[in-house]
Amino acid sequence: MNTATGIIKALNSGIKHLAIKRFTLRYPEEKLKFVGDGYQFDPSTGVGIAGSKGRHMLFHDKCTGCQLCSIACEGIAEAIAMVKVPEEYKHNKKAIMPQIDYGKCVFCGLCVDACPFYALYMTNDYELSSFSKEGLIYTPAQLQVKPFVSQDVEIKITDRGATHG
Amino acid sequence: MNKELPPGLALQKVDERIMTLNVGPQHPGSGHMRIIVQIDGDFIVACDPDPGYVHRGEEKMAEYRNYITNIPHLERPVIHDSCNILYPYVLGVEEILGLEVPERAKYIRVIASELNRCVYTMYWLAIYGIFLGHSTMFMWPAGDRELLIDLLEKMTGARVTHAHFVPGGVRNDLPPNFEDVCLRQVNYFEKRIKEYAAVFYDNPILIARTENTGVLSREDAIRLGTTGSVLRASGVDYDLRKKEPYDVYEELDVHSNVMKEGDSYARSKIPWLDMMESCNIIRQALQKMPKSGSVRVKLKPNPKGKGFDSVYKRVESGRGSLGCYIVSDAKPEPYRVKLSVGSFRNLIALPYLLKGEKLGNMPAVYWSLNYWPVEADR
Repeated sequence: MNTATGIIKALNSGIKHLAIKRFTLRYPEEKLKFVGDGYQFDPSTGVGIAGSKGRHMLFHDKCTGCQLCSIACEGIAEAIAMVKVPEEYKHNKKAIMPQIDYGKCVFCGLCVDACPFYALYMTNDYELSSFSKEGLIYTPAQLQVKPFVSQDVEIKITDRGATHG
Repeated sequence: MNKELPPGLALQKVDERIMTLNVGPQHPGSGHMRIIVQIDGDFIVACDPDPGYVHRGEEKMAEYRNYITNIPHLERPVIHDSCNILYPYVLGVEEILGLEVPERAKYIRVIASELNRCVYTMYWLAIYGIFLGHSTMFMWPAGDRELLIDLLEKMTGARVTHAHFVPGGVRNDLPPNFEDVCLRQVNYFEKRIKEYAAVFYDNPILIARTENTGVLSREDAIRLGTTGSVLRASGVDYDLRKKEPYDVYEELDVHSNVMKEGDSYARSKIPWLDMMESCNIIRQALQKMPKSGSVRVKLKPNPKGKGFDSVYKRVESGRGSLGCYIVSDAKPEPYRVKLSVGSFRNLIALPYLLKGEKLGNMPAVYWSLNYWPVEADR
């Protein structure tokens, strides 16, 4: 192929793409949809359930304060600390629950795998930025709240290219 | 000046025509490393790559953590290719602990590692476009990469650093309806990357820039110990997926792409051809995968090695052969973990390739070696 036809072909290919839909996610307005509620783990079968690895969610009525999540995090990020909570539940005799520092967490999900009581799982909330370092530390009370995330955009593939919509 | 200087500090006698130039470590054309080049006018006389700026001590860290907690930090060197860098470690630990992996998990691993190879190669290609001043080739791969990142996110839950492979299988099963979504997006991805030919690989400007620059002959490629796309671009048909099949690669039809030229153009084209091959492998794996079944064997909470034992496993990553040597004793922590990475082996070819080249060709030659500074430093 000689040089002129090669350059014209390359330009032509670029011009063709003017008519193709844009593959851009307009992020703060639109958010990509994830599968399911979030990453969970089923200790009876030993297999996880697919989902996004975002902020954790803690069920106070299931947590026994066994510290296994904290032990799992020890060699990884040391983000989980066990803190005192008011004595509410009979099964949690020590009255301690995990507190997670998102300044340190690497979102690997091994703490979820370690929990034998279905008490901890990960939700699809990933917008955790804060103005202070203290704002990144989530107490057991904050972890109890189920996040509201509106994620409705999916990748759509048409003849005129792929888009988010 | 009677004192003897250590070899690194000794004064060098240089010709007055020759100038020493430091490229890096913060130069956009070098990544986290320095290339010391000596130039005579516009021609490179000698070149000395200086890696090591992002050394993190991953291998030493692995000696203080148990077999499971090693997973999240061992994938940090190449976060785009995190499934492939964990693959040899996981295969080695499985042999040490004596685990039998379920058939479905093996196929999921193959799909995840091939998707990851494409994600890495697209990122590499985007930077190669920037190095050559071709900004369209930065935008297109960076956008199309999202298709596969979306698939990996559905599979594993994270965009990068998936921590998906564990000794004994994978962390979680595929989400419902994944096969259809995967097939649709991979087919579209393959159609998209074929469009790169007109704008990049058949573009006469790119060919003039990269053809016959940094030619690595077949003999030199073998002698220097290069791997992966660099070796295959020099005419050596060596792909570990074909030569030493691991997991279920034996049952899949893998075709390795070989080019004879050994120049920068061939080295940049081989990864692009490999991506199409990856799409082919994913389609085969989706077809042959068992539709249901277990994906993970149950592990004891803190698994221990049986005794003094050593194992070496290697896989084909996005940058060539990636080996992991694990020595275990009867403790929950490994005694030694050594990663042997493709990036570091390919870097040794750089001084040979740059000798006699023009300085302007340096980025085209350097990035065509498929080098990732963070992985090489570990």
